[in-house]
Amino acid sequence: MAGKRQVMMLTINGDDYEMLVSPRQTLLDVIRDQVGLTGTKEGCTTGSCGVCTINNDRGEAVLSCLTPALEWQGKAITTIEGLEVNGELDALQNAFLDYGAVQCGFCTPGVLMSARAVINGSGRPSEEDINDGMAGVLCRCTGHIKVKEAIRNVASYNNKT
Amino acid sequence: MLTACAARTRAAPMLLPDHEFSKPANLQDSLAKLANTSGEIKLLAGGTDVIFNMRGRLFNPDVLLSISELPELQGIEQLADGTVSLGAGCRLTELERHPLVRQYPGLAAGFRAVASRHVRNMATLGGNLNLDTRCWYANQTAEWREAKGRCLKTGLKVCHAIKSSDICVALNASDVAPALLALDASVVLASLKGERTVKLADYYTDDGVEHTVRRPDEIMVRVLFPKNSDRMAYIKETARKGNDFAYATIAASADGQGQQCSRARIVLGSLTTRPVLLLKTATVIGERGLDDAAIEAAVTEVRDELGALTNLYTPAAYKGRIARVLVRKALLQLREL
Repeated sequence: MAGKRQVMMLTINGDDYEMLVSPRQTLLDVIRDQVGLTGTKEGCTTGSCGVCTINNDRGEAVLSCLTPALEWQGKAITTIEGLEVNGELDALQNAFLDYGAVQCGFCTPGVLMSARAVINGSGRPSEEDINDGMAGVLCRCTGHIKVKEAIRNVASYNNKT
Repeated sequence: MLTACAARTRAAPMLLPDHEFSKPANLQDSLAKLANTSGEIKLLAGGTDVIFNMRGRLFNPDVLLSISELPELQGIEQLADGTVSLGAGCRLTELERHPLVRQYPGLAAGFRAVASRHVRNMATLGGNLNLDTRCWYANQTAEWREAKGRCLKTGLKVCHAIKSSDICVALNASDVAPALLALDASVVLASLKGERTVKLADYYTDDGVEHTVRRPDEIMVRVLFPKNSDRMAYIKETARKGNDFAYATIAASADGQGQQCSRARIVLGSLTTRPVLLLKTATVIGERGLDDAAIEAAVTEVRDELGALTNLYTPAAYKGRIARVLVRKALLQLREL
């Protein structure tokens, strides 16, 4: 019994996409292979590493590798490509550059989308909020210190405004 | 702007196993689909356990029935008689932050203990309570399992973890179950025949394959627990806080204050096929209170009550020891609450 493909609508970074999706595809498969947005990475595919992190319509961090694409029928998501608006980097992306929070870069899309969710959840995240939001995404190069410094920088900027 | 994307998929081994995807709009239609479909159906809520197991080809369902957005499975509320009702479809993030749940800090800690924020944004209460049992001989790639040889979980009458065992001894890894057991929770299961309520203490079995009493035609809809003002301690012992499955979890609750108490409930999780309610250990505390001598007397009861332990993920000797350590730690914490 083969699973029927279904026509699916998905809004990614504000753009609407219509496509024929197999039940066998995860949301990550669709984002990367079908839509062609390869910024989102595939890592462990078991929910341990967090590099496939995207934001759902509530701005929360979710793992695109552990959810069937068809679950997202009619929904809106944001991927790493959606952080940059009109050629302007997101405040977090600028902070990552300023603080050197990137080494090899493979985990960076997942780290940034997780960090974005931390800021979305609370414009003024506490140290505990940052640890809580970033524990599910792993940098294998260097660690989370500079990442946290960058997030704190954006948070403190938010605190002033 | 609407963009049409050509169908393009990757090589079959990298995809999920072939199945039919079904997402009925309400509970009644879901129950009908469950009752009227031949072949194996898996319920999909957050997906963090089901998709993980499908990737490993441990689950190869004919139908994936999505219940993630059923309105009947939502809602966190206090009923007229004080009973707290939690929708089985509520996500763990929503639960741990809800004002009603936060009146029970031990329970909120149990929700917060599960995996990472990313997983908790997806995973549901029902999903965590029905988490498949885990075993390092079964939770491997299909190739690995075939090389080692199958087992009770994958269709043979062999257990690699305890050679002499005739039932599967895979571990129950739910972090939420011990906390809810300490609150004496019940679960409500719905089928086309109606609803039935089962004590969570009676929900799990000693068999790692059929590890709950949920029938194939049933969907868990709600979790209920009586209003109470007991104090509760909750501890999860794990390798990396914020991601891993537990080496062991404990939830301990008691009435009274300080060293005074007349009843207690102590539950250990992640050590065996089911969360273990330590009745004798709790009786010692209920009779003698929470002074040092009583706690030590209670700790001596723990090992016997746990039953057979496996070397899965951690050595059996470690499991016996961590159980005693956690009971002592939780009871000492409880005294300060």
